[in-house]
Amino acid sequence: MSDPSPTEDLEDLYETAPCGYVSISPAGIIVKANRTIAEWLGRPAGELVGTPVHEILGFGGKIAFETHLAPLLRMQGHVHEIALELITAEGEKVPTIANAAEKREADGSHRFTRLTLFRAVDRRKYERTLLDARAKAEAETKVQREAALLREQFIAVLGHDLRNPLAALAAGVRLLGRKEKLSERGLTILEEMNGSLARASVLVDDLLDLARGSLGGGFAIDRSNAPLTPILKQVVAEMRSIAPERTIGASIEVEDPVYCDRGRIGQLASNLLANAISHGARDGPITFEAATTGNLFILSVANAGAPIPEKVMERLFQPFFRGAIRPSRNGLGLGLYIASEVAKAHDGRIDVTSDRKETRFTFAMPRSEPVTPKVE
Amino acid sequence: MESAASSSVLRRHNVQVSGSGERTMMFAHGFGCDQTMWQPVARNFERDFRTVLFDYLGHGQSDASAYSTERYSSLDAYADDVVEIGRALELRDAVFVGHSVSAMIGALASLKAPEMFCDLVMVGPSPRYIDDEGYRGGFSREQIDELLQFLADNHLGWSAAMAPAIVGNPDRPELGSRLENSFCRTDPAIARDFARATFLSDNRGDLGSVRARALVLQCSDDIIAPVQVGEYVHSALPRSEFRLLNATGHCPNLSAPDEVTTAIREFV
Repeated sequence: MSDPSPTEDLEDLYETAPCGYVSISPAGIIVKANRTIAEWLGRPAGELVGTPVHEILGFGGKIAFETHLAPLLRMQGHVHEIALELITAEGEKVPTIANAAEKREADGSHRFTRLTLFRAVDRRKYERTLLDARAKAEAETKVQREAALLREQFIAVLGHDLRNPLAALAAGVRLLGRKEKLSERGLTILEEMNGSLARASVLVDDLLDLARGSLGGGFAIDRSNAPLTPILKQVVAEMRSIAPERTIGASIEVEDPVYCDRGRIGQLASNLLANAISHGARDGPITFEAATTGNLFILSVANAGAPIPEKVMERLFQPFFRGAIRPSRNGLGLGLYIASEVAKAHDGRIDVTSDRKETRFTFAMPRSEPVTPKVE
Repeated sequence: MESAASSSVLRRHNVQVSGSGERTMMFAHGFGCDQTMWQPVARNFERDFRTVLFDYLGHGQSDASAYSTERYSSLDAYADDVVEIGRALELRDAVFVGHSVSAMIGALASLKAPEMFCDLVMVGPSPRYIDDEGYRGGFSREQIDELLQFLADNHLGWSAAMAPAIVGNPDRPELGSRLENSFCRTDPAIARDFARATFLSDNRGDLGSVRARALVLQCSDDIIAPVQVGEYVHSALPRSEFRLLNATGHCPNLSAPDEVTTAIREFV
């Protein structure tokens, strides 16, 4: 047995629906309104008929009705999901969400506009809380950005200013070595000082590169088609002399031209090799390969040793990141960051694969001059 | 032949040129929507005028990336843009038809480039929206904040992440394919700036220097530009005609395009 379905009373549905109904003439006069909205507004339903719709709208809604809603209704026939504030007889605001549609004659002329409104007190409160939170977050981000900029400018200035005393020290050490008679012990100390100076210079250069990269200037690169092979050979030779105890196998088959900044590509190669030397297994070989295939220049450096953990992998190219597995003897953790910035500046990228067999960094970039669209 | 600079101005403002005729009639939209507002009227003039429609930066299909909050803090910058478009099109003795705040922008443009526009049609003009001593603009300063609140609550048709997807509109094919609410699609930050520049403007002092012939088209029941403000503009301009339209509301170009067309035709 089932209950007979109750029939809906359309008149009652209109009057007491859980939403407000208002119909407005083309001149903006209310021609019909239901009881629900009259109750929200604290006015008798009959009193609403004949009053301009402006009287029940908050000021913002009034202006927006003229500047936005009326034109949209004329042009597209409807407007949905507008946040409108109504004003009660007591002058209080009732936030609503409104849909509106034009009722038109057969010839397309405007007969009246139907508005359906839903109370949205909590929703509006929620939305405004979100807006406030966003404004606050934006303000905080701005402050932080400014602080970061200052910090980076400080690094840039510091790095730059450190170069002069370093150059003076280097000149002094050189003079001592050439012009002064030194004991055996003195010569050893001098050589160690030279090594320290060279390391300090590399650190300062890295700092300056970092500052340039993060200050938005990007890495200045100066591309040309000059031969790349000599630079790569030189880098490999340097690294072999820095780490004579390691085996570095090299294969360089580069067909010129490769349109790049040779100094920067040399720096990238050097950084990848230095990384392999610091993090690869002491007793495993390092392989360095550079080749051109089609329109690509590809350079890869592989070493043996434990695979890079996934967590480390994610942050590998971030500045100041140092595997944290063991404290690095030197460096700021900028080598891979700078290598990846150099790659980006050449429209290339560095990919990493790492398993039990080997860890391999592969840099690939287009060989030829990029075709830039003509600027008018 | 257009130079690269002028074609970039025209692209930046989504300038649409149609029709043919000796004289040019340039239509400027007001605060709220875009150049679509003028289409029902502009098309009536295409037979005997070259018609020009455009969007202010940040509105309609303009290039919002060229916008800067600092530059557009007053109506002057908008008038500069009008002059720049006029120069790109080599306008002389043209008709400028401005709706709402654009009526005053047109007057400012005619002061900056007197040879460009000799006739101004000002639809619902107001040289100052906020009440002042001895002047009733119809607005109070607090009310402007309520308007800004409305704009913050409603990003009509705007979403920064909006893909250039196009939806069809089978019910009203004459609209072509445009996105929901896209006529009033304005970058929220720009809408806010434009609302400030518009409703906090005071250009009463400029009206006396306007040398162009002007037609003030006033709507009967316009809460944004009330009749007394239209009359004020008429009396402050050296050479103007005043015409009260039967149309009500603030957008007669949409609600009564034929009446507006007739009034403009009789004036020019």
